[in-house]
Amino acid sequence: MSLTDQSAFDIAHKIQRGELAAVDVLDAALERIAAVDGRPGALDYGPLTQEDQTKVHAFITLTADRARQKAERVDARISSGEDAGALAGVPITIKDLFCLKGVPTTAASRILSNFVAPYTATAIERLEDAGAVVLGKVNMDEFAYGSSNESSAFKPTTRNPWDLTRVPGGSSGGSAAAVASGQGCLSVGTDTGGSIRQPAAYCGVVGLKPTYGRISRYGVIAFASSLDCPGPLARNVRDAALMLSVMAGADTRDSTAVRLPVPDYLAGIDRGVKGMRIGLSKDYLQISYPDPDTGETIMEDLPAEIRNMTLRAAETLAAEGAEIVENVPMPNSIYGIPAYFVISRVEASSNLHRFDGVKYGYRARASGGDLAELYRLTRAEGFGLEPKLRVLMGMYMSGGQLSLQYFQRALQARSMIRADFETAFDPDGPYRLDVLLTPTAPTPAFKMGDFYGDSTLMQYSDQLTVSANHAGVPALSIPGGLSAEGLPMGLQLIGPDFAEATLFRAGYAFEQATADADWRAVKPCVLAEVE
Amino acid sequence: MRDEISPEIFAKLADLAAFRFNPEEAEYLRMELNQQLKAIRQLETLALDVDVPLVPRGVTYTAESRPPLRPDVWVPFENPEEILNQAPEVEDGYLIVPDIPHRELD
Amino acid sequence: MMNPLAVPDQHRNKDGLMADFEAVIGLETHIQLNTVTKIFCSCKADSWQDPPNTNICPVCAGLPGVLPVLNEAAVYKGALLAAAMHAEIRLVSYFDRKNYFYPDLPKGYQISQFDLALGDGGYLDVTMPGGFVRRVNITKLHLEEDAGKTKYEGGQRLVDFNRCGVPLVEMVTEPDLRSADEAAQYLIRLRQLLRWLGVSEADMEKGHLRCDANVSIRTAGSTYLNTKTEIKNVNSIEAVRAAINMEIERQVSLVQAGGQVESWTLDWDETRQRLNKMRSKETEADYRYFREPDLLPLELTSEWRDAVIQNLPELPLERQLRFMTRYQLPEYDADILTADRPIADYYEAALTAYGTDPKILSNWIMNEVLRMQNELGLSADALTLTPEYLAEVIRLVDAGTINAATGKALLVKVQQSGQPPQAIVAAEGLSQVSDDSALQSVIDAVLAAHPQEVESYRGGKEGLFGWFMGQVMRQTRGQADPAKTRALLQKALQGKR
Repeated sequence: MSLTDQSAFDIAHKIQRGELAAVDVLDAALERIAAVDGRPGALDYGPLTQEDQTKVHAFITLTADRARQKAERVDARISSGEDAGALAGVPITIKDLFCLKGVPTTAASRILSNFVAPYTATAIERLEDAGAVVLGKVNMDEFAYGSSNESSAFKPTTRNPWDLTRVPGGSSGGSAAAVASGQGCLSVGTDTGGSIRQPAAYCGVVGLKPTYGRISRYGVIAFASSLDCPGPLARNVRDAALMLSVMAGADTRDSTAVRLPVPDYLAGIDRGVKGMRIGLSKDYLQISYPDPDTGETIMEDLPAEIRNMTLRAAETLAAEGAEIVENVPMPNSIYGIPAYFVISRVEASSNLHRFDGVKYGYRARASGGDLAELYRLTRAEGFGLEPKLRVLMGMYMSGGQLSLQYFQRALQARSMIRADFETAFDPDGPYRLDVLLTPTAPTPAFKMGDFYGDSTLMQYSDQLTVSANHAGVPALSIPGGLSAEGLPMGLQLIGPDFAEATLFRAGYAFEQATADADWRAVKPCVLAEVE
Repeated sequence: MRDEISPEIFAKLADLAAFRFNPEEAEYLRMELNQQLKAIRQLETLALDVDVPLVPRGVTYTAESRPPLRPDVWVPFENPEEILNQAPEVEDGYLIVPDIPHRELD
Repeated sequence: MMNPLAVPDQHRNKDGLMADFEAVIGLETHIQLNTVTKIFCSCKADSWQDPPNTNICPVCAGLPGVLPVLNEAAVYKGALLAAAMHAEIRLVSYFDRKNYFYPDLPKGYQISQFDLALGDGGYLDVTMPGGFVRRVNITKLHLEEDAGKTKYEGGQRLVDFNRCGVPLVEMVTEPDLRSADEAAQYLIRLRQLLRWLGVSEADMEKGHLRCDANVSIRTAGSTYLNTKTEIKNVNSIEAVRAAINMEIERQVSLVQAGGQVESWTLDWDETRQRLNKMRSKETEADYRYFREPDLLPLELTSEWRDAVIQNLPELPLERQLRFMTRYQLPEYDADILTADRPIADYYEAALTAYGTDPKILSNWIMNEVLRMQNELGLSADALTLTPEYLAEVIRLVDAGTINAATGKALLVKVQQSGQPPQAIVAAEGLSQVSDDSALQSVIDAVLAAHPQEVESYRGGKEGLFGWFMGQVMRQTRGQADPAKTRALLQKALQGKR
């Protein structure tokens, strides 16, 4: 097993004890990248070659030299007896939505293709301060607007390490694919409607959307500010917990980052689920979407293998001592996607206002035009279709009367979704849940091109994840098994505000209980060749 | 079903958003918008007069969790010139943009 | 609009025809708060004379990924102003995004307060040139961030973000003003109030106080509102007066010629002293206001609000009225002595030291101290001539130790040297005390002030002589020649001259 396939927890401990050198871990990671990733995403990518189709393409920017300096610094600290941090020498990747000083930060968009951030995001600063070694910036949907990575302006876009004809999910697809294929141990993503959890499920890794406000958003290019949550992606629950411990906490630069103390998420992670009340909801075992022709809402059961995986997981947890509470009603989750269509677009359209060719990034070569012309050309050439679509919808939804008709109703739906969770988790209520157990995504990873272009159906792949964003509550996606086609399926554990420790505990218990399961031994296909 | 976003409304939105489209692009995006609106219409089943607070975000902030306001203390940014370096066109410390022909003499 | 304090305005324009119309004016002011830092980041608020784009950071320059963090001092100063304007301070207010494209607005939206702002309602009572008090009601009082500056040069626009994020209070009046002079007077009083509270430098030339005017006309005495025009970019009291007068005249001529006023936005061209029409502005819905998701609602406790109201100083008009009732000062004096807080404080401190006639003191300050202030360009609290020194000089004059002309010259010397008046009088021999007549007048004054003691002395209590000596010496600050004093005092007490 390559060093890069070890857990972050083990690597950091071995480096802290001087048993392992950070540069050796870095070399292993770089070697893996060279073996599986292929060429990084670029604006001028030319035709897709045969070889391109055999690679993951997680990266946009590889920062190998910078990483080596950091790794050497970690080793120097260790040899001089200093504390090198909780993530000493752990190689990580960063979704290219986070600003990192002196490094290109593109949001996978042409409009930021030449932007070099003059400052560093708080979450990244904390990871680096804890000794993490940043390998580079990884691909994503343009401005995080998508669920497949296909909308990135930097191509080739990321492929799923389990099946290279399939998407890695999105928008943090590069992060999930990198972690799954051993290109670093950890990755930092963001989750607005499911953008950490859905790709984590598709790529068979762990992903956490923390409680809104648990991790500072400072330095994260905004998508929908009231929903955006930075969070960890890792290969196991304990690594995700370790990473959250480092990233979480108040920040004087983010007024929405709570000042609650950060618990030690590793302490008690192995206490098991005995006595824990874990809920199942029928509303999370079906999917609803509008008929493309009539607009009528169609309700369907989820595919049997997804349902069965979820029910089996409940049985596993019950066997570990958890109390399973069935039929927890979450009736307002059907409004999750419609409300998301409105709220996220209204906020996104405003957040994208600043990209105008004046201050940074791409500027159209407008010859002799006036300022309005410069704006129009820059934005027409700089944004891909998905951002344009989101901005237009946001513009439509926030004007005058329509704001009342749609935006106010969407906010109302958000309150009602939140109320569902409050009822479910209410310690004096009828359900008194610690955790709600659901599938993460309605299907395993789909084929590239299957939905791309149909923005409505694409959005519905977030149906099971988006409600946690509306409610602000934390949700953890962990691998739950493999589909008949050998693709990862994700389980989602949702808890009340700031109950991340409970989610980790339940997730860890499931991991331990299924450690010897056959499906755990199956690795992504891209790793078959390197071993 | 009649398209909620007509070509005229679409043109106005494009103008507000400072976009420019060729006809095919415009038609594709307009169709996508109308398709999304079918999903969004599900919200119309919600009655607006129900007494539900319109919260700006899911999580509720308490006196303990709410961060304090910022003290009025000057902390200069270390490298303002790096910000300027990102601008496509700069002259003598100013960002340069084409003129705005907004004034007509009466 | 019912207005209990307002006396019907007798405004009549020189032009007889215009008497049929009255102007209806509302002012929209932007007030720069004089905090140390900007409203949402830690850059300093004041960039006066800084090179362009040097006082910026990722936050105020609108870089991708940044977030606003509200400055507590901006909230405090905004609340203090709201309290002084008799507005209700909302315990929960919200910030909203106002979206539009402009190169001086780096985020493409301005963070402002739309519907539930910090201040609710309020008014300012303004004594108008005609002598009556006009209550000017406030419809909007909110916090927001300033935009940057752009200037036109050589066919292109230059953009400077230094001013981005400077805290502003936007304050909008009801259309309660009836003439250009009233509008100017409102601004004069507002400027006085802002400086009085210490919330803004309120220097219009530096853009600390900016004003847009909404102007319409209607048949005199009617109550309806006609279509208004908005005049932008008026950056001095005189410009406000000139621009509004010009616009009133234009509207009256237009209506008299059978035309109709259109809802234009006008730009005041200071150099050419004329109004230009600007392109029709966007309607409000196009700003697509929505709650700023990056900021929590601004929640204040009632204790905090009470403390703000407690900290509110006595306001200019209140203090003026107190000066008139308590010190019996004429309105003219009281107005001038409350022009700003330092001069009002100076007056009262000097009065305490002087101890007697408030009007005499007022005369000295209005004639001498204000002239000195103007010449030196100093506010009263920056004078070396302290209120106590002033009182001492006046007492010297009152006592006849020096004459009035010497006293005036002495004030200048005290200001220049910082020396106490007595020391200067001694050092420069300014005292009149060595000359008999001056000493005689002090003795006369002492005797006149103490008739009972004089009677006792003359009745045989000669032991009082020493006490009389002491009084004279005290009055002359020990400047009198004791031998001469003894001789003159003996004569005087014996009833001889």
